[in-house]
Amino acid sequence: MEAQSNWFRETANRELKNELSQLFLSLLPPGFTILRQIAMSSFPDPTSAVEHARSIRAEVVERMPQLLEEFEKNAVSHGAKVLWARDARETTAMILDIAKQRGINYVAKGKSMVTEEVGLNKYLAMNGIEVFETDLGEVITQQLSLPPFHIVGPAINVSPEEISAVFLKKGIIKEPTTNPIELGKAVRAYLREKFWHLDMGIVGVNMAVAETGTIINVENEGNIRLVKSSPRAVVAVMSLEKVVPTMADAIHMVRVLCRNCTGQKMSSYVSMDTGPRKFKELDGPDELFIIIVDNGRSEIYRDRQTREVLRCIRCGACLNTCPVYAKIGGYPYGFAYSGPMGQVLTPLLVGIGETSDLYRACTLCRACKLVCPAGVDHPSLLLLYRSREIEHRDGNGQSLLRRLEKVATFLASLGMSNGHVWNLGAKIMRLVLRRLAHDGYITHMPLRAKAWTDCRDLPSIPNRTFHERWKDLKGSDYTFGNRR
Amino acid sequence: MVSLFIPCTVDLMMPEIGISTYKLLARLGEKPVYHTDQTCCGQPLFNAGYRSYAKRAAKHFIKVFGDDECIVSPSGSCVSMVKHHYPELLTDEPSWCDRAQALSNRIYELSQYIVDILGVTDVGASFEGKVTYHESCHILRALGVSDQPKKLITGVAGAQYVELNNATACCGFGGEFAIGYPEISEAMVKDKATNFLKTGADVLLLCEPGCLLNINGYLHRNHPDKRAVHLASFLAGDPVEA
Amino acid sequence: MIIRSGTEGNLTMTPREEILGRMKTAEKGKAPFRPSMPPLTELALDGEQMIQRFTLELSNQTGVVHRTSGKDEVLSLLTEIASREGLKTVITAGDDVIHSLDLGAWGAAVGVKVIATKNIKDRETLREEAFTADAGITSADFAIAETGTIGMIFNEHQPRLTSIAPPIHIAIIPVERLYPIYESAIERVFKNVDDAPSQFCFITGPSSTADIQAVQFKGMHGPTKMIVIFIMGQA
Repeated sequence: MEAQSNWFRETANRELKNELSQLFLSLLPPGFTILRQIAMSSFPDPTSAVEHARSIRAEVVERMPQLLEEFEKNAVSHGAKVLWARDARETTAMILDIAKQRGINYVAKGKSMVTEEVGLNKYLAMNGIEVFETDLGEVITQQLSLPPFHIVGPAINVSPEEISAVFLKKGIIKEPTTNPIELGKAVRAYLREKFWHLDMGIVGVNMAVAETGTIINVENEGNIRLVKSSPRAVVAVMSLEKVVPTMADAIHMVRVLCRNCTGQKMSSYVSMDTGPRKFKELDGPDELFIIIVDNGRSEIYRDRQTREVLRCIRCGACLNTCPVYAKIGGYPYGFAYSGPMGQVLTPLLVGIGETSDLYRACTLCRACKLVCPAGVDHPSLLLLYRSREIEHRDGNGQSLLRRLEKVATFLASLGMSNGHVWNLGAKIMRLVLRRLAHDGYITHMPLRAKAWTDCRDLPSIPNRTFHERWKDLKGSDYTFGNRR
Repeated sequence: MVSLFIPCTVDLMMPEIGISTYKLLARLGEKPVYHTDQTCCGQPLFNAGYRSYAKRAAKHFIKVFGDDECIVSPSGSCVSMVKHHYPELLTDEPSWCDRAQALSNRIYELSQYIVDILGVTDVGASFEGKVTYHESCHILRALGVSDQPKKLITGVAGAQYVELNNATACCGFGGEFAIGYPEISEAMVKDKATNFLKTGADVLLLCEPGCLLNINGYLHRNHPDKRAVHLASFLAGDPVEA
Repeated sequence: MIIRSGTEGNLTMTPREEILGRMKTAEKGKAPFRPSMPPLTELALDGEQMIQRFTLELSNQTGVVHRTSGKDEVLSLLTEIASREGLKTVITAGDDVIHSLDLGAWGAAVGVKVIATKNIKDRETLREEAFTADAGITSADFAIAETGTIGMIFNEHQPRLTSIAPPIHIAIIPVERLYPIYESAIERVFKNVDDAPSQFCFITGPSSTADIQAVQFKGMHGPTKMIVIFIMGQA
């Protein structure tokens, strides 16, 4: 999928006015948050459960290359074919190759964000392989060519009317209907035949267990189980950070993931594959390919300051607590990953220079960091990207506006490093701002500051700063009371 | 000996909050000092990504406040900047970094200082009417201060405390965010204002100057008969200035 | 596709060497200490409490749980289910528990066609039978009280599709296989890594989704209904 975060602003403003989006955003994130809290309270000590999960992810990040090697060794010893792909191009070419060599003309896919990241669907379609998404939300976003609205429910906000229209066109339904259950059941019927005759399935991976060489998928619909069981060839695509050290760790992470993702204590199906089918088994793949995808992550790993981004387990708890996401939904983030999780990952995958809105559209409220069961420090990362953007600008030619901003900031820093300059600066600011005030308030400000006064007033700047009033205060006669 | 750290927003735009802070501490038996060469903690620069400039502000701050036993400020975000970000900013200059670390143990947000250090919850203030409280992001999540302001509020004779719906939701200020993403910011502050109005409270209390500018700015434009007040002013019993 | 290319490395290196190499030569950090957690409260449940907990949890997911004393009760329960659900064809796994019920004879007696997977020779036949059967009847290797979950090891006696393709899944489980938490299953299944099954699955209730307008329903791609029949031990 192409990163389109330069239209962040326009899309955000459009979503602010979209009644349906706003309705879902007022209900869904708080709803998920409550469910998560209830589910987490089933742990005897939820805080220690979170700390334990964070330490597992911290270990994964620090031991990643060793764990990946251990995973590969164990997976291969059970007959899996483990392949490594450096980037999107290699990943998609590899998968196409596997399909072509086996005479495949269609594949069915379980939901996989990394395959969205590398643009797999489009690539396969371009090369004559029909791709059937099977997760209901993905089916809808695929048919409507929409980005995901929410990591767990990518099409949860889409109106049944819209879904009905496109399903009618595609022959998934014969009669229009706006009943969500009828629409869902129609997809069941439509895809059933695809599962039945499937020759190659593609799935993502929630966890890859190093200790045993097992891949784990967590789902509710059953499409992933079908995609892994029915065909002869299964391709599981995982990004580097999916590895976990042991089965015991994986089980704890399954508990934590389910609770943080959907507020369930356990999802309907947690399927664990260790190699392809064994001799005499009737189903399961003859060939299980596991593709380990880098796509920029080994570079992220090399940088000690960004390495922790790889802790993320894609649960979406951060989306549900983000006050900005709560206003704009997933579309403005313009990529497979939205919300705070996307804000910390996408700039590293796509480039700091092209994703400014992603790391600046944040109030640094820290709600994400506090809730994250993997221990990602989103605010620190976003602040880091902001500073890297400034450094990057310094190194490469900047626009006039940016140079003016830099000068203004430099002057501000002079004011901040010297009390006299500060007081002088205050006097100058006062002269300027006084002209804008009327009736004690400023209701219009020029240039960039106009953004404030478009919806807010600003109190007129007072005659004297605190500095200037201090001498009066110092000399005044306040009763120094007795400390209670 | 308490040293006053008056945030730049207070110094320039709302000095009365600084005055209330001084009066309040004086009433509680402190003799606050104020270093006149203080300026700004540098948070706006740091948040914008200008770390080298922010460092200058940080070093100046450390020079000004470095010898104080105890520093108190009526702003959670400024305290958080000093406590959590100064060591990070100065990580490659060990001697400055050490001084920043030392400082971080001696700086407090105002309500935190009054309740945790002075052990006071009744400052002798009174107010007839309903009040409610907005939990600003930094004071709540960066400093873990939540009970302290509430204890001080409920300690005010005559004040009827009403819980604010979504009290912990961000008000949409976020410094440069309010200017950079005004539409989203407006949507967030609108929610905050709506929840405030729903409480039927006479006044919305908070501990953060930035939130105050944001929320009052919106209220003055849209609901001019309602306002938010800094806890320091409220506790000092200072008249709410128009 | 915009994504940055990672191919600026040595062209004679394989992708694997390049990726691992880049990570291995990076600055090392320390893996943190793993803080402990208090044991799960489910570990304190006794036999009866486990069944009740299992039943409560699975019922919350619309699953149905029965207790039977042995083969006769199981078969009469199946007859009832077959009649209520209008079952014409069922597909059954080929493991010991199912084998001992002699479902072929039962089916003949009540007019239900029973396809035993042990008589199926290839993938194509299995797929056809699994996707057209009205119900799949299997055993399970574990039942977990924690969340009303069953654990199934898939192998030559227990194919995967039997429990996921048909719209109804009936799992017949000796109660000795009921344990308090997932670890009870995992520690046994993966005790010897070399012998790890090709697939092991935790199943909690029927298939479900809420992807359209957050309206939840059961039976998205997997079973719409799930029934667990415990065979109680000797008193």
